[in-house]
Amino acid sequence: MPAKRALIMHPDDNVATAVEEIASGEEVRIPVGTSFRTLAAAEAIPFGFKIALADIPREAVIVKYGETIGKAGVPIAKGTLVHIHNLEGTRARGDLEKGGAR
Amino acid sequence: MSFLGYVRPDGSVGTRNYVLVIPQGIIAKSICDFVPGTRTLITADHGSGRTKNDRETIARILIGLGKNPNAASVIVHAASPGVGYPELYAERLADEIRQSGKRVELLDPGKDGGTYGAIVKGIRLARQMVYEASTLRREPVGDEHLSLGVKCGYSDTTSGIAGNPAVGYLFDKIVSAGGTAMFGETTEIIGAEQAVARRAVTPEIGRAILDAVARREALAMATGLDIRTVNPVPANIKGGLSSLEEKSLGAVHKAGTAPIQGMLRYAERPPKPGLYFVDNWMGSLSIFGGYAAAGANLVLFQLGGGGLSGRTLLESCPSVLAPFLWATANPKTYAAATDSVDFYSGTVIEGTESPEEAGERFYRIVTDIASGTVARSETVAYTEPLEMYLQEPRF
Repeated sequence: MPAKRALIMHPDDNVATAVEEIASGEEVRIPVGTSFRTLAAAEAIPFGFKIALADIPREAVIVKYGETIGKAGVPIAKGTLVHIHNLEGTRARGDLEKGGAR
Repeated sequence: MSFLGYVRPDGSVGTRNYVLVIPQGIIAKSICDFVPGTRTLITADHGSGRTKNDRETIARILIGLGKNPNAASVIVHAASPGVGYPELYAERLADEIRQSGKRVELLDPGKDGGTYGAIVKGIRLARQMVYEASTLRREPVGDEHLSLGVKCGYSDTTSGIAGNPAVGYLFDKIVSAGGTAMFGETTEIIGAEQAVARRAVTPEIGRAILDAVARREALAMATGLDIRTVNPVPANIKGGLSSLEEKSLGAVHKAGTAPIQGMLRYAERPPKPGLYFVDNWMGSLSIFGGYAAAGANLVLFQLGGGGLSGRTLLESCPSVLAPFLWATANPKTYAAATDSVDFYSGTVIEGTESPEEAGERFYRIVTDIASGTVARSETVAYTEPLEMYLQEPRF
């Protein structure tokens, strides 16, 4: 079976975006310059969703476009889906504000 | 030369050639229903009970639409609930629009025989004005006469990868040719604001952008909510976006790479050509009318659409006078709504086109539509009401 494609936006990224439907166990190829890096999907990654390129410890930053898009709310294993269940946004979080308005 | 347009007395160039009737209401609607070639707006925001600042915003919209180069001439009537306020006097609106050198006519039910009389007089005037407008011919002009406004919406991960970068390419090309391009959505640069502010031509403008973002974020914090219960909106999350920061970092790609000449208020006209950040709200019923009032002669909706289902027809958002284009880079969105989409750049994800090739194709589509080819949304006779971006309490 040919490898499925995912894209990184910046060399520092620790997640890649699937541009095909990826099933659990499938090989994922990510273009990096003129070559590729590959990893195995540990679970299904739908089109447009993100896959972890490395183990990401709890509280570590998640990087896309070379910039922080959030923190790991739980430890995230390489090859698994990164989305709202394990990525915590860090901006405009009124619910985390100490002594917030409510 | 880049496109064929209608050259106006003030040197601006229209991509369309309408007679505009303002403000909203039964007089304007009746005239426009009777006379083809006219445009009005539908809105509940007429100014009554609004603060001075908000009334000035409404005036800025109405005057700005009147001055928009896509209006050949304008009829202003004095029968809106808001016109009792000095900011919204019909005479004031008409006088300011006249500074553009175009024909402006006034209707006053108090002097013209009431509502019925004003409608009849307006129909007679509009028929003559549409005839006059039709005698104008398009002329070849350069890209410096294009003024574009963009919003990205129903964003998903294709937006940041291939959709917004195509808009960015287009913006860079238009701005480098001396044209004008506007982007905004202050909430949706939270997380990317430093990169935006760094592109400002002066530290003061950069500071103003950071301050605008800080004001929005403070308002969000004061709600006590996780912003993700509001924005990214559910369609964004269904499309694979996981945080506001991720959405913002993808969103700012639509601004290209040109320096930012200034920050504008909603519906504020840029003082000179170039790229501008607008401190506006993302609402699709709000943002495009604001761009048109700022002088945009063409507006773009860069659509993700990953979280949309069953939407096979995409109607326009209210832009009143400016042709409205749909662009997407999501192959599923394109497959579902092919006959509504003006430009597709999923080819970049599929690897069949380079970003530059897609951007050049986008540019040709935009200049074709500026020259009179219809945008797909112009083949649907449906208009949502304009929701003006008014920010102060009502009394």
